[in-house]
Amino acid sequence: MSVIEIENVSFTYHGDKRALDNVSLSIEKGEWVSILGHNGSGKSTLSKLIVGLLKPQSGTIRVDGITLSASTVRDIRKRVGIVFQNPDNQFVGVTVRDDIAFGLENLQIERPEMIERIEHYAKKVDMYPYLNKEPHALSGGQKQRVAIAGILAMKTDVIIFDEATAMLDPEGRERVMEFMRTLNREGTTIIPITHEMKEAVMSDRIVVLKDGKVLKADKSENILKDKETLERSNLELLLPLEIMHYMNENGIDNPSLKEFLWQLSLNG
Amino acid sequence: MKNIVIGRYVPGNSFLYSMDPRTKLIALIVLMVAAFLIQSFAHMLVALLLVTSLLIFGKISVKRVYLGLRPLMFLLFFTFIFQILFNQEGDEIFVLPLHYTALSIFAAVAVAVFWFATKKRVRFKLLYFLITVVAIFAVFHFIDFGFLFARGTFRVFEEGLSTAFFIMVRLIIIIMLSTILTITTKPTDLNLGLERVLKPLGIVRINTEEIAMIISIALRYIPTLLDEANKIMLAQASRGVDFQEGKLKDKVVQIISLLVPMFIISFQRSDDLANAMEARSFVPGQPRTRLHVLTWKRLDTVAMVVSFLALTFVIVSRVVL
Ligand SMILES: Nc1ncnc2c1ncn2[C@@H]1O[C@H](COP(=O)(O)OP(=O)(O)OP(=O)(O)O)[C@@H](O)[C@H]1O
Ligand SMILES: [Mg+2]
Repeated sequence: MSVIEIENVSFTYHGDKRALDNVSLSIEKGEWVSILGHNGSGKSTLSKLIVGLLKPQSGTIRVDGITLSASTVRDIRKRVGIVFQNPDNQFVGVTVRDDIAFGLENLQIERPEMIERIEHYAKKVDMYPYLNKEPHALSGGQKQRVAIAGILAMKTDVIIFDEATAMLDPEGRERVMEFMRTLNREGTTIIPITHEMKEAVMSDRIVVLKDGKVLKADKSENILKDKETLERSNLELLLPLEIMHYMNENGIDNPSLKEFLWQLSLNG
Repeated sequence: MKNIVIGRYVPGNSFLYSMDPRTKLIALIVLMVAAFLIQSFAHMLVALLLVTSLLIFGKISVKRVYLGLRPLMFLLFFTFIFQILFNQEGDEIFVLPLHYTALSIFAAVAVAVFWFATKKRVRFKLLYFLITVVAIFAVFHFIDFGFLFARGTFRVFEEGLSTAFFIMVRLIIIIMLSTILTITTKPTDLNLGLERVLKPLGIVRINTEEIAMIISIALRYIPTLLDEANKIMLAQASRGVDFQEGKLKDKVVQIISLLVPMFIISFQRSDDLANAMEARSFVPGQPRTRLHVLTWKRLDTVAMVVSFLALTFVIVSRVVL
């Protein structure tokens, strides 16, 4: 069953350059779908449209079968959470505890349950010892984990990560990726948005955006190898796959090396 | 900018800390009103004594409160002087003949210059200033020789002295009380208390919850923005803007080079923040449950009763006297 269905959606900020141009795609429940595209290709616009922060000029968006409109936007936000790029600009609470509580307060969760969820999800992202800390005492990676806990606590079915790892160091990034894996295993639909191939390799499917249009949507294995599509959208092939391409073009045939390169690229 | 002392919460542990912020806010207002209504000299001193004992029993370091008072010392001092010099009602209680002679004027100027040159090196500045003022009066009083220009008298009137005293003690009490409040109450609790205390304003369509949300976001972002300001100042300094000194024109350039990026970044930030809040189901004006609840304790009832009793006592004694 599709959890997100986007049909012929177009969106323009102002002027006549479309940020999204007739985009259609659907995402299945429990799927892990990366949205890949160069800077300005419309990735963030798409994520904002899905949770109703922006309103499409044409087309429809359905989440869990509910069509997005002014009267259903609150229902939809209960189902889809977003972790944004800048860890500082999404930290609402004065302390970690307050920040995780923010979404729960908005959903009018009763206090005892709220406390239980805060502690549970703080433990889950390893931020339990920091519950009373203020944001300026935390690293970027820690703030981002708090943001994740805040979304997890709201128990949404779908979580969009809009370049959530872009401002983190490799270790912070690896931890966020680890959460994505765990969550996906537990049944949450994960939609990472990125312009880095490395972050997309683990997903089930990849949707490639270029200039507001869907260039291609396919299984990750296929997109990974698809040099032409990636080049057209200003993205880079992973290094092992670049080597594999070179081997193919120059008739170098070495199946075991190719297999090795393939495994290397799948492991990020 | 990191050394703002007034309005700082200082972690601690005493009955003042465990009191409900609502209690503290209401008590502050009640006691302030009481302090304004006190008319008798003795009662004023008792009030000052009581507030000081509140500090001691509340385990608040007197030094911190003094630090809170210090920036206002000169203000207090000048209201005092102003009242003494210009309020001329009531009986004369102190008369000091003064002699303006060439020699005494010269000596007075010398004392003033000496004060000006050495004041930076003295620890108790206010005391030093007071001594200097007394010294200048002494010079005019005792040096009555050396080419007399004119004579004068320095008069202190009863009303002037008592008004000066009352104003000063009242201000001190008010500053002490509010410093106690901010030292013992976390800004978040204070904000929550304020929200609850002002809740009745809902009748005139003022949404106190929204105001409290604005304040709490401001509290959350003040350290972040200060950090940012520091970063921008460093960045601009590396481009040659000198923040340390300069003439008025340079100052303007410095401020603009700080404010413009600050504004742009803050707008971006608030845009992002609004999105993040909305995406997490925040709808302004909609009911929300709250993680923080305030619990009214026996202590709060006692504190409330005591403050209102104090106010009643002051009002009654004002009517009776
Ligand atoms: N608030 C806005 N006002 C006007 N135009 C905007 C706004 N936000 C984005 N755009 C434009 O819309 C297009 C798509 O932007 P979007 O932010 O969705 O891209 P993106 O794929 O998320 O890029 P990035 O990788 O840089 O985050 C861009 O051309 C951008 O300039
Ligand atoms: Mg983006």
